[in-house]
Amino acid sequence: MSGDPYSADVRALFGDPAHVGALSGSVSERRDDQGVTVQLFADLDGDRLAKLQFLAWGCPHLIAACEGFCRANEGAPLTSLRAFKAADFMQTLGIPIQKTARIIVLEDVAKALGAKLAAASTD
Amino acid sequence: MYLDFAATTPTDEHVIDVMTALMRVDEFGNASAVHAAGIRNRRHIDTAAEQLGTLVGAPADTLVWTSGATESNNLAIQGVAQQRAHRGKHLISMATEHKAVTDTFRALDKSGFEVTWLPPAENGVLELEVLAAALRDETQLVSVMHVNNETGVIQDIEAIGALCRERGIAFHCDIAQSAGKLPLNLASLPIDLASMTAHKMYGPVGIGALYVAKNAQIHLQPLMHGGRQQGGLRPGTLPTPLIAGFGAAADIAAARMASDHATLSALRDRLWAGIQTVAGIRLNGDLAVSYPGLLNVSVADVEGESLLLALEPLLVATGSACNALNQEPSAVLRAMGRSDLEAQSAIRFSLGRTTTAAHIDVAVERYCHAVAWLRKMAPEAAA
Repeated sequence: MSGDPYSADVRALFGDPAHVGALSGSVSERRDDQGVTVQLFADLDGDRLAKLQFLAWGCPHLIAACEGFCRANEGAPLTSLRAFKAADFMQTLGIPIQKTARIIVLEDVAKALGAKLAAASTD
Repeated sequence: MYLDFAATTPTDEHVIDVMTALMRVDEFGNASAVHAAGIRNRRHIDTAAEQLGTLVGAPADTLVWTSGATESNNLAIQGVAQQRAHRGKHLISMATEHKAVTDTFRALDKSGFEVTWLPPAENGVLELEVLAAALRDETQLVSVMHVNNETGVIQDIEAIGALCRERGIAFHCDIAQSAGKLPLNLASLPIDLASMTAHKMYGPVGIGALYVAKNAQIHLQPLMHGGRQQGGLRPGTLPTPLIAGFGAAADIAAARMASDHATLSALRDRLWAGIQTVAGIRLNGDLAVSYPGLLNVSVADVEGESLLLALEPLLVATGSACNALNQEPSAVLRAMGRSDLEAQSAIRFSLGRTTTAAHIDVAVERYCHAVAWLRKMAPEAAA
């Protein structure tokens, strides 16, 4: 018998996703894969991520991961997006290994957004 | 807030009193023993058989005590299949049956039997011509449940049984969701075997019964060996407190059935009226032919697991057959023609004796809010 499939962190993040919503005028990146959809939005202030928001369709673990990702990286250097590793984040939040493929979609979007922002900032 | 009464019901306080009294030192005993304590316990068991028999319209001596509906289903299906195997190995059931039935048939399918799975109509009902077309000379058993545990849809078991009886085919019916909730008179119905359980009708978990019709040409093979209790068909010391609790629960169910049915109908209608305006909602089942304690709905553009968590503190069931880590869509809803996404977004509300109009109003508010909240969170044209 397994216990609660959701860690306290996952429950807290899912229950209070303060970073939900599109950011108008921001740079965004989206992926539809593994039965989920993730879209990230970012505003830059110099080389720092001034604002991060998300939209997501998927399980509670994915939504919690998106919210946790935004909280952890808002105000961080732009390079943090390309350094993001889903596996480390899953361990931190107590996300079960069965959800790896879905959380990797978030990693893919974060890296793509990082690349897009980096390219835009050097133009 | 508990709205999962189809999964299990709380044990009635009177039932608890009956059971605990029989566990005490001045009442306990082995019903197989020949001394006074044994005789006393046998009387309690006889009384319970009368009570349950009265509820479902079956003579007391047609009831075999089991651990629950799962064991009853196994005993009936395996017992008939093995006993009649020399006459034919074709068996019939539906994909919308409980896993205790479908998995038992699958096991038989792997061991040399052939199973035909009948599809329901879109509303979940089995159309008689579909059954008639599937019957063969070598068909030995048909198993169709009375009330579906996910949708509440009621099958016409009288007509199904009549068709089977005309052909000399054994008919088994899982009545776990209807015993104590809908009027039943098994002895007058063309049913050979019927499975039931106490914990779906405010009795204790761990006790069930199998009805074996007297007139049926059925001599079940036991699943277990080890004693002569219950004619050797189901050996093992009889759990007097659980059986007496089942009997007491049957008594209460018989007395309350009409009023419970009326109350649940009003509550179910209130729930459906409250949520049916949600865009993209779809009823799974047919209110015209359903037990009123169940309402199953799917909704478009919402992920099922997130919906279930967003509905907390409502305690409801999802259309997913497994758990948060293995989201296999409900086989029942898939068989009814729902897509994977529709099945996966399904929520089963099941109401019971302690459900109130205030609970329903909270459930309506919570469901509407959760759907709107998750849709707001989703990117355009996701999923």
